Amino acid sequence: MKHPPYFLRPNKVVDRLMLIEAIKHLDKLYDDPTEYTYYGLGGPYLEDFRLIYDFCPGIKMVSIENNKDTIERQKFHFPCSIIRLKHMSFESFLARYSSNDKKSIFWLDYIDLEYDRFAEFESLLSRVSAGSMVKITLCAKPDNYFEDPEEFSKKFEAIMPDPWINPPRGEERFARLLQDMLRIVTQRALPAAMANIFQPVSSFRYSDGTPMLTLTGIICLRKNRIRTREAFHDWQFANLNWAKPRKIDVPILSTKERLYLQRKLPCRRDAGKKLLKRLGYLIDKDKKKTVAKLKQYATFHRYSPYFVRAIP
Amino acid sequence: MKKKKNRKIAFEHEHVDASPVKSFFVHMLTRDIELEFAIFDLLDNCIDGILRSRIRNIAKKKPYHGFKAEINFKKDSFSIADNCGGIPWALHNYAFRMGRPKKHPEDTRGMVGVYGIGMKRAIFKMGKHCLISTQNGNQCYEVEITPKWISDEEKWSIPVRAAGKKMEEDGTTIVIGELHDGIRKRFSENPELLKSELNRMIARYYAFIIEKGFEVVINGDTVKPRPTRLIFQKTEKGKKPAIQPYIFKTKTADGVEIFLAVGFIRRIPSQDEIENEQEETKYSSLDAGWTVICNDRAVLYCDRSELTGWGEARVPRYHTQFIAISGIVEFKANDASKLPMTTTKRGIDASSILYLQIKNKMREGMRIFTDYTNKWKGKAAESKKQIECGKPYLFKDIKRETESLKFIKLTRSVPKGYQYKPTLPYPKQLMPNRRRISFVRHADDVKIVAEFLLGDVNADASEVGERCFDTILKEAKQ
Repeated sequence: MKHPPYFLRPNKVVDRLMLIEAIKHLDKLYDDPTEYTYYGLGGPYLEDFRLIYDFCPGIKMVSIENNKDTIERQKFHFPCSIIRLKHMSFESFLARYSSNDKKSIFWLDYIDLEYDRFAEFESLLSRVSAGSMVKITLCAKPDNYFEDPEEFSKKFEAIMPDPWINPPRGEERFARLLQDMLRIVTQRALPAAMANIFQPVSSFRYSDGTPMLTLTGIICLRKNRIRTREAFHDWQFANLNWAKPRKIDVPILSTKERLYLQRKLPCRRDAGKKLLKRLGYLIDKDKKKTVAKLKQYATFHRYSPYFVRAIP
Repeated sequence: MKKKKNRKIAFEHEHVDASPVKSFFVHMLTRDIELEFAIFDLLDNCIDGILRSRIRNIAKKKPYHGFKAEINFKKDSFSIADNCGGIPWALHNYAFRMGRPKKHPEDTRGMVGVYGIGMKRAIFKMGKHCLISTQNGNQCYEVEITPKWISDEEKWSIPVRAAGKKMEEDGTTIVIGELHDGIRKRFSENPELLKSELNRMIARYYAFIIEKGFEVVINGDTVKPRPTRLIFQKTEKGKKPAIQPYIFKTKTADGVEIFLAVGFIRRIPSQDEIENEQEETKYSSLDAGWTVICNDRAVLYCDRSELTGWGEARVPRYHTQFIAISGIVEFKANDASKLPMTTTKRGIDASSILYLQIKNKMREGMRIFTDYTNKWKGKAAESKKQIECGKPYLFKDIKRETESLKFIKLTRSVPKGYQYKPTLPYPKQLMPNRRRISFVRHADDVKIVAEFLLGDVNADASEVGERCFDTILKEAKQ
């Protein structure tokens, strides 16, 4: 089975670290982080599992994988001994899953965009216990529907804000539409009459070749919603009101460039322009794009990965 | 022991209290209807207003053009405002009384209000306070329903006052406040979901009337209609076979006009599509089934149950393989009580004799298309070519286009009427030396072979299977 080099995707790396940041904020809400179990679709390299073990070692972990060969590869990449592997499809897993009143962290890390993905998300939300965190990632590539825009509404009309409007062609607006659809799904899964609610905590869009949308939220008791929001209030990357997804688009900079720029960071205003002034040359097509890229770097520099040659 | 005395009661002088209880209307009747359908009751009133005011031009292509209803819901209120003519003072007893008085002004053609309960039930469904402002020519008045009035079991009259200001156009505005807890929660915590659901339902249930020009706006956004389109292949005179709908039309002695059409809305599904549909949660079945329209409004949408004849009298039960079949029955009557619909106007009165008669015709028509689907099973690609010869037509266009077809007059059957039975293309008999091969393999393995043989991992499984066989056959023959 062929897999893309997930670990070489700079924006995905940042997104993974955003999940770690969000998990860290759970400390403000709940006393015992070891109560959580992380469930992920980690792929062959189990990168998300490695990060969770590094930063939140108390969390139990379960990987769900349907492909036998990928499971073998996962075993080879085990970052620690506390991961349980489940050889089954996520759909089958979901059918057997019971929260047993324990808190969970789920990452539904999909690479495509199908109605079933929303249905699985919906099913999960109604079954996790209060205090759980769920992150979903979807392919947000609008050009898949350029030729036949009606195909989109045929597939997704049940969860579209306006089922009869063609999907937007731009990546930003398309990602926003998907987020609005996820919002409707959360309301379907946890309608007003139910005790729990889905409180979003962050949403990002990024592209390492394919545009993606990723949304993270907490399933909390409605009466605890304000408390939940307050726990994330001071987080720079929080999206607590379903605002448009924040873009992650970190530039490829050499280590030398990064160390040179880092001495100016953090800076509150005009970060892009200030870094360009310090650098003295363009790193993208024009000044505007360079400023935007450097602003991205200023925002995410602490999470931006270093790719270096290593001697094994 | 003491003996109980049997006191004699003079029953002939006693009366039992059989008067209505207000709380029955306020708390019980509202349980019979979903919020969405309660809102539809208010929309129906808007449309009845247009018909009553006789200001539309029926001869026009879009007789409802210029009329609109604006629905707005916020966390603490609901409102619907229309420009559909308002409620004439002469009808105030009908509009505001619980139920319909016997001495009621004669109905206007095409209305759907029968029982005199829709508007009130919708109001009580949502909240405890309501202000209804209406203007019909010079008559401009307001009626306020308060929580105090609702809780007072004795008081049945509601004070009327002259409206504070004149509206730009004749119409009615209903504002509901003091929302019930469940409704307030839906408006405040699930507004996106409610808006999306209302949009989708109105687009379908009111598709026919929106197509005719009526405009519905929900929280600022106009709803676009989603009508059913049946495939119709125009042919030169007498040329058969062709993909066309089955049609039956009639008019009953008591003035109900009926037009029924059933046919294909798309190509029949391939075996892969049928299997995928069963495994996954897809929505391609959404447009299949029967839609029943009473006076321009859908009372049943894409039903696939026994209520519309599926699984009865040799018609198979609905199954994914029939996703291409859809039918529409339209009932029209001046007197809405003759229409086979329930009090909520979103259901069929299954015991209606008229409906049962028409259901026979629905099943008769349906059988033609289930039979075609079964005959072409496994040959979806060939059938696709035939279906693509036709074009999708709106119901109103089907009515127009089929006028020139050769209908047979049925005088001995019940109901009497005119029928058009299409001649659909049928496959030639399978040659006796042909065999079907069918087998199941792991999806990942199918993808590997698909890429290897066809260079396309997403190729249809049936295509992969056929190519495998053809490749080996070629080798075996060498």
